[in-house]
Amino acid sequence: MAGFLKVLLRNVLQGPSTDPYPLGPTFSPDSIRGKVVVDPTMCIGCGMCVHVCTAGAINIQHNENGHVITIYRNSCCLCANCHLYCPTGAITLTDDWHSAHEQAVKYQQIEQQHIDYEPCLGCGTPVRVMPLALVSKLYAGKPDVDPEHVRHLCPRCRQMEDAVRTYNLQHPEAPASGNDEA
Amino acid sequence: MSNLLNKLSVRSPWLFRINAGSCNGCDVELATTALIPRFDVERFGCRYCGSPRHADVVLITGPVTLKMRDKVLKLWDEIPNPKVTVAVGICPISGGVFRDSYSLAEPLDHLIPVDVNVPGCPPRPQAILEGVVLAKKIWMRKLGIEEG
Repeated sequence: MAGFLKVLLRNVLQGPSTDPYPLGPTFSPDSIRGKVVVDPTMCIGCGMCVHVCTAGAINIQHNENGHVITIYRNSCCLCANCHLYCPTGAITLTDDWHSAHEQAVKYQQIEQQHIDYEPCLGCGTPVRVMPLALVSKLYAGKPDVDPEHVRHLCPRCRQMEDAVRTYNLQHPEAPASGNDEA
Repeated sequence: MSNLLNKLSVRSPWLFRINAGSCNGCDVELATTALIPRFDVERFGCRYCGSPRHADVVLITGPVTLKMRDKVLKLWDEIPNPKVTVAVGICPISGGVFRDSYSLAEPLDHLIPVDVNVPGCPPRPQAILEGVVLAKKIWMRKLGIEEG
């Protein structure tokens, strides 16, 4: 009898334990894995996420002037492998778990980002401009490198610049002026 | 008379579950949504029923395997109209991680008309509740009664 009264009193004081959602607010744990988003400033289109995606929900289409990354949310199994393996940290899982939708909008449940290429400052071929955060990390110990210039170069031109800088060479495409004395 | 009956019964769509070859993840979430007081689906007048003939909303989990396809179609046919079909989890929606497997028939919406999709692997109980509330709204629309 006393035990029953104790439970009754506790329930009266604490109120119902039912989560009021969707009529009221709810909670989300910190570690919840919700909808996937891609940061277009960081995605370099390497294709690692396509390779590791458990459900095959990611597609990257390359063309001459850029690439398009598409994540199909209705195939995504929220395993977060893409987030784990993305070398630039471009893919993150938000805490947005509101996924229920009507059939009419089924094929609009995608995350799509268009990443445009820009001409290389050295040779003019279209290249993916490297994310500034990535370049700053790469050239952290080299104060004489201008990250803003280097990120606009294609890998070949970047190699050339590196060689010129490291061995103090003459740039092959620069006008030869001091070579006669050497 | 039938309109009056509709208005009286409209508060409580009964739910029916079909496991079309699911891994049981989504079924556990469905059971959680129904059974524990925290997510209490009965607040919306819904309750699970054992027979498809009593059901109004059908929740289908799992990719439709070849073995289950005819059974799913048979069960679905037994549910009286108007019915609302809810695909729970990514498997019935797109095939999910089992897509293109030799043992799968095809996505659920190629076989029967689906009304609501709740993707997730598995979806949260709250997301399923969202789906059930959406299904209830569609069910009322099909009955010709808008929710007041």
